[in-house]
Amino acid sequence: MIQVRALTKRYGPHTAVDGLTFTAPPGAVTGFLGPNGAGKSTTMRMIVGLERPTSGTATVDGVRYADLGAPLHSVGTMLDARSVHPGRSAFRHLMAMARTHGIPRSRVEEVIGLTGLESVAGRRTGTFSLGMGQRLGIAGALLGDPGTLILDEPVNGLDPDGVLWVRHLVKELAAEGRAVLLSSHLVHELALCADRVVVIGKGRLLADAALGDPALGAGSLEDAYLRLTAGSVEYRAGAAGGGAR
Amino acid sequence: MSARGRGATLPRVVAAEWTKLTSLRSTWWAALASVAVSAALTYLSANASSGDPGYDPLGDLTAGLLLTQLGPLVLGVLAGTGEFSTGGFRTTFVAVPRRWPVLAAQAAAVAGFALPVAVASVVAAVLAVLPAASSRDLPVNLTEGSTPQELAGTVLFLTGLSLFGLAVGALVRRAVPALVTVIGLTLVLPVVLTLAVEPTGTTFAEGVTPQEAAVNTITTLLPSGAGGLLVTPSDALTVPGAPDLGAVGGGLVLAAWALVPLVAAALRLRLKDVK
Repeated sequence: MIQVRALTKRYGPHTAVDGLTFTAPPGAVTGFLGPNGAGKSTTMRMIVGLERPTSGTATVDGVRYADLGAPLHSVGTMLDARSVHPGRSAFRHLMAMARTHGIPRSRVEEVIGLTGLESVAGRRTGTFSLGMGQRLGIAGALLGDPGTLILDEPVNGLDPDGVLWVRHLVKELAAEGRAVLLSSHLVHELALCADRVVVIGKGRLLADAALGDPALGAGSLEDAYLRLTAGSVEYRAGAAGGGAR
Repeated sequence: MSARGRGATLPRVVAAEWTKLTSLRSTWWAALASVAVSAALTYLSANASSGDPGYDPLGDLTAGLLLTQLGPLVLGVLAGTGEFSTGGFRTTFVAVPRRWPVLAAQAAAVAGFALPVAVASVVAAVLAVLPAASSRDLPVNLTEGSTPQELAGTVLFLTGLSLFGLAVGALVRRAVPALVTVIGLTLVLPVVLTLAVEPTGTTFAEGVTPQEAAVNTITTLLPSGAGGLLVTPSDALTVPGAPDLGAVGGGLVLAAWALVPLVAAALRLRLKDVK
């Protein structure tokens, strides 16, 4: 379970995340939505300790990430498909990750099988397509069999089969009692796989509700998203002059 | 599905860094370059000087060192910058949120890899003087005089340079600026400084100008100068105007060149965000 409390991140005068509070509970897929630059990735990086909050807290199962005894067994993280060295094979990349936690080779082979990377595991990741990179990121997140998963744009670059696979995978992970926090720009996709959504804009919470909650208003999730973020989109095509900076 | 195991202990992180280091082609290319350059330059130098009347094959053992240095330096720099120049650091520091064990483990892995490479480079140099020595029917006795120290010193020097490269790489984080820094400090700066103060008349030790003394002191304290003291027996080399550090002192100065940037890199990791 992820708990974010009054989380704030400032870079000099710029506030990237502004007093954000939400929970990603176990047994559910929490969709994390927001326009570009809303602070989704910054929030996710703070949850896993890569960045330090200016104020507020982010915890996993009640513990600050840096204080987790064996982080890979608590949280599976996929932040960016480019979080790998392009000169290393997918198998060696996962083996190096596994070795930090004494995870056996058999588990590495297992996640390679789960993500359908068997035929390319020996190839250097620099030769991978975006979709294969995404599968590798998901393989890394699953490696420690964690109770919480943080997936930043996991369906980006996946073919329709891959999108369907991720949809089933995250639902299955939640059904097993895990907490899944999933960010995406694809609102339609989130409407199909999320149980709840957290919508942010300009670093602030705009909505935190179960799908179908009246708080999101009538109409589709997309309608609700566009209405909620109307005031916090920095760039929107077709907007007259004032829309752009 | 729950937290279990002891997480990222230091031995585990060392194992992970070893896997990372040895799974990159660049690591093996740098190792190969070190051995090949050592063999080739020593062979050429030995052949060229074997015609001299007082030819001593052992005098050529360190002839290739000037460029053999490049292999361990590049090896270390690429190990230090590889994470940051590619984004691999996110994966690494999510798995090891305390961060500093990664640096310690990288140092252990690089030293553990560079040491056998350094031994192989020295063995290659020894083999490379054999043809010239046998052409003059001269014996190559490695156990006499200062030769054992020279060989062991070369191994330590090359291993130390790989750690210097790692430390600067880990601090600078980008491969090209880090390479420019380490090559500038070890290869270019000593030459530039020496050229800058061409002897101006007085050529012997007693008449060292303050300028020359300063330059000699600086070059002695640079990584290559300090490491050179490990290789060259001190009685054979008294640099006019420079402090007489001896082999141990030279080794300590080289160690400081690795340790200071490594500690700075650790502090940067501890105090700053990584993104």
